[in-house]
Amino acid sequence: MNDNGQSGLARLTDNLKAIGNTFVGSVFRNGPPTSDKTRAAAIYNNFFMHIQGVKTHINTLRPTYTLGLGLMSFFLFLAVVATGVFLMVYYNPSVENAFKSVKNINFVVFGGKVMRNMHKWAGEGMIIFVLLHMARVFFTGSYKNGREFNWVIGIVLLILVYVLNLTGYLLPWDQLSYWALVIVANIMQSPKELTDSLNITRFFDVGTLSTEFFLAGLVPGKEALNRVYMFHVMVLPMVIYVFIGIHFWRIRKDGGMTKPEVFTAQESDSGYVFPPQKTGGIFPTYKTYGLMELAQGKTPAVDRDVENTVMSWPNLLVAELAVLMFTLAVALVYSYYVDAPLKELANPLIPENPAKAPWYFLGLQELLSYSAFMGGVGLPSLALLGLVLIPYLDRELYNVGIWFTDKQGRNVSLEAFVISVIVIIGMLIFAVKFGWLRNWFPDIPQIIITFVNPGSIWVGFVILWSLHVIKRTGSTRLGAMAMFVMFLVSYVILTYFATELRGPNWEFYWSKDQWPIH
Amino acid sequence: MYSRFYLSVLLISSLLFLTYMALVAFNGVMPEWKYYQLEYKDLLIKNAKDDAARKRAEAIPVKLQQIYLSAFNKEDRCTSCHIGIDNPLVANAKLPFKKHSGDYIANHPVDKFGCTVCHEGQGSATNKREAHAKGHTYWDYPTLPLSYIQSSCAKCHDFDMLSKKGGDKVAEGDRLFREKGCQGCHKINKVGGDLGKPLDGVGNQPIAYFSMKHVIGDHTVPTWLKQHFDDPRAIVPTSEMKVKLKGPESDLLTIFALTLRSDELPKAYRYKTYAQPPKQEGETLYKTFCSACHGEGTQSLYDEVLKRTIPAIMNPSFLKIADDKNLETIIKEGRNGTQMTAWKTVASGLSEDDVKSIIGYIASKRPAEAHEPFPIKDLTGDVNHGKELYAAHCAVCHGQDAKGGENLIGINLKNPTVTKMVDPEFLAVTIRDGREGTSMPPFGKEDFALNNQDIVDVVAYIRDSSKGSK
Repeated sequence: MNDNGQSGLARLTDNLKAIGNTFVGSVFRNGPPTSDKTRAAAIYNNFFMHIQGVKTHINTLRPTYTLGLGLMSFFLFLAVVATGVFLMVYYNPSVENAFKSVKNINFVVFGGKVMRNMHKWAGEGMIIFVLLHMARVFFTGSYKNGREFNWVIGIVLLILVYVLNLTGYLLPWDQLSYWALVIVANIMQSPKELTDSLNITRFFDVGTLSTEFFLAGLVPGKEALNRVYMFHVMVLPMVIYVFIGIHFWRIRKDGGMTKPEVFTAQESDSGYVFPPQKTGGIFPTYKTYGLMELAQGKTPAVDRDVENTVMSWPNLLVAELAVLMFTLAVALVYSYYVDAPLKELANPLIPENPAKAPWYFLGLQELLSYSAFMGGVGLPSLALLGLVLIPYLDRELYNVGIWFTDKQGRNVSLEAFVISVIVIIGMLIFAVKFGWLRNWFPDIPQIIITFVNPGSIWVGFVILWSLHVIKRTGSTRLGAMAMFVMFLVSYVILTYFATELRGPNWEFYWSKDQWPIH
Repeated sequence: MYSRFYLSVLLISSLLFLTYMALVAFNGVMPEWKYYQLEYKDLLIKNAKDDAARKRAEAIPVKLQQIYLSAFNKEDRCTSCHIGIDNPLVANAKLPFKKHSGDYIANHPVDKFGCTVCHEGQGSATNKREAHAKGHTYWDYPTLPLSYIQSSCAKCHDFDMLSKKGGDKVAEGDRLFREKGCQGCHKINKVGGDLGKPLDGVGNQPIAYFSMKHVIGDHTVPTWLKQHFDDPRAIVPTSEMKVKLKGPESDLLTIFALTLRSDELPKAYRYKTYAQPPKQEGETLYKTFCSACHGEGTQSLYDEVLKRTIPAIMNPSFLKIADDKNLETIIKEGRNGTQMTAWKTVASGLSEDDVKSIIGYIASKRPAEAHEPFPIKDLTGDVNHGKELYAAHCAVCHGQDAKGGENLIGINLKNPTVTKMVDPEFLAVTIRDGREGTSMPPFGKEDFALNNQDIVDVVAYIRDSSKGSK
């Protein structure tokens, strides 16, 4: 007997009847998000949601500000993880079975082909979207004002995405993957050019050591498959989870996305923001607490929340969900129509000609054809170092959160774009048409070519041009902008050039039809 | 409406995503082979003669068919579409439902042999394009055209048996291979000449080994072989291969070439009588190893491909002076600087007995009477006089440097076989009597009137000049 005089059995029956509501209520302890208070609770009481702020700035929600690129990269990552687990069920990393198991995924596993396509394209899509996201962060100046180290973590994530893609490339064990990894092994051997020139390979053979660490030998073999698989499905994913976590955590701690210092909400913003509903919560509408609702800024904010922010639930969540579905839909449609390549079983006796690295490393392979050390180690290290140093060398806080900073920034970027396109295409034409030092002076010491080749001259030009911009404009931000534009342009042009216009024996061809064989 | 931008993106993307997920699921539930099986089932139901047969047909489960060949560690899924492969009821149906033709299935149960063991193709594939592997499917062994299918019989059966039972084409190809003198240039199992590439394993070499640039039509190994037999230089511009094939012979040789595989089927599959191969006669050996260049051997001919004159070795006047010992020297050592390779055991894989049989065959055409003896032992040659005579009489055919060669009808004299190994008397008699049936005139006769001393001088010059040049 209790206070109400109900019997124990009756209470049990009541509890049983209410179990639906009580169970859900025990999971979502704040009830349905009907007021600003419960909407806030929906965010901060939820393990997955609380990485986001309770309120989101309207600027963050403008599609033209972030373009959703970082989220797209992350959602592609989720798609890769999901499809990756699916593929792991069927894949067998042994020389005898790897190729066969991939064939069976294509032929008999339910939905296997599309899953494999999606794993491939979403994975390679990550490279594109992480680079685009980096460009967005750069051009909006979002690496400043406390976000310097998060930019560095972003670079680490970029490298991890590259390495994850690369390790996945070998696993089908077909001709394409095998010979691409042979090229990658050669790229990893490239420090030899320098150590040989300096005559210290005997003591410090870093090229061989790193290749053997990665591939358990100097060419891909049976052991390589196991090792690369282990990197691909265990070590690297664990590392990237941690870094993604830190990356997001720091965004949250930095107060969300960057935004312009002076921000005025516009009429058009209502296109992607729900109006605030002031029912319930701590500010009931039937009372007026006008003063407490006064916002910072130049114009009085009517129907708008504090400091141009809106509730994350539902505004941010709807936007995120839209980006998620958009990303998944595009990835799925693409994977439905375009098959991931799978050539013949790997055969070490039949070299592919041209043997090409995965496309995202083809820019490096082009530089490698001028000098192994510079293309394989020197210039990529320099580029990464340059990217890492940007937030520490450019500390101007002027117009953070505005695309291209200002009119002068746009002009400097455009100028750098035009100049880099002209110079790099000119350089390629020169190298294809006239060759390089080795063609004119056959006996020239290799160490000279290592340091004087189209690749290093280009990087030298980029550095000099950025210094020139800094001197001319007196702004480190503009100098960094010129450098970054030139980096992007050269990556894109070199990658395109090596993918489409290089044929057998790394000769230049206008199209594949002109190749001498097959 | 508020937030219409994100809501519409969400709506459209979600619809798109769901649509394509449904498409993926549909393709998963209804793969290509299922349509064939359903059609097959309908066919059986329609053709059922009585209720019992109809009931049986209706009870056929529609599912992926797979034959696991444990000896090969592969699975053939061909019967997923070729479902009536062993059903006599569909003997006259259309492809792919039709029963396998002939009585092959009776002796080659599908459970044991699958399909790709004989027909090639990609057994694990579940769609027609990739299973047949025609065109750009990145599979090295597309299904064999039925006109070449007999090459697969030789994987397990010997040619003797095949020639009598169902393998006439491949057995004929084997005979042609031996008669057309292929092994004069190509080694098989280490036996044969070395002008051409060894042929071991060409039958299952990956497509990448063959340059398909000039091949017309399908880029497959059988087409390459066939077109290469029809016109070697159309496919490999630098080829020196000599082929004299008529009509369907190039197809027959293609079938045979496809049997030259590097792998061997597991023992449980092979059905060969490993009887001692019949001892080959001199004539057969001559055809196999010599006839590609020398033909019937009665005429010496200038060869456009090899760019030199090929001597007539069955010519009576040659045989009259070339005794067995000289023949053996020439055959075993070959002729340096020409396409005639050495046929001694270490170089060609031919046994001593084989060489003896060939010599026996060649010598069987030797005339009974011997040549008139030449008193070479009594005379001493004068190299300088010999040089003058050579320039005047011999250089026009054998070349100023005595090397023979392009556009010259004379053979190469400047090789160790002529200069060191062959008996000088052989040279002297050849100069004196000439060589009937060839362009080599008798220099001892009236027209040239070289006396014995002159001839010995020329012999001395030939042997010496070569010695000097070595």
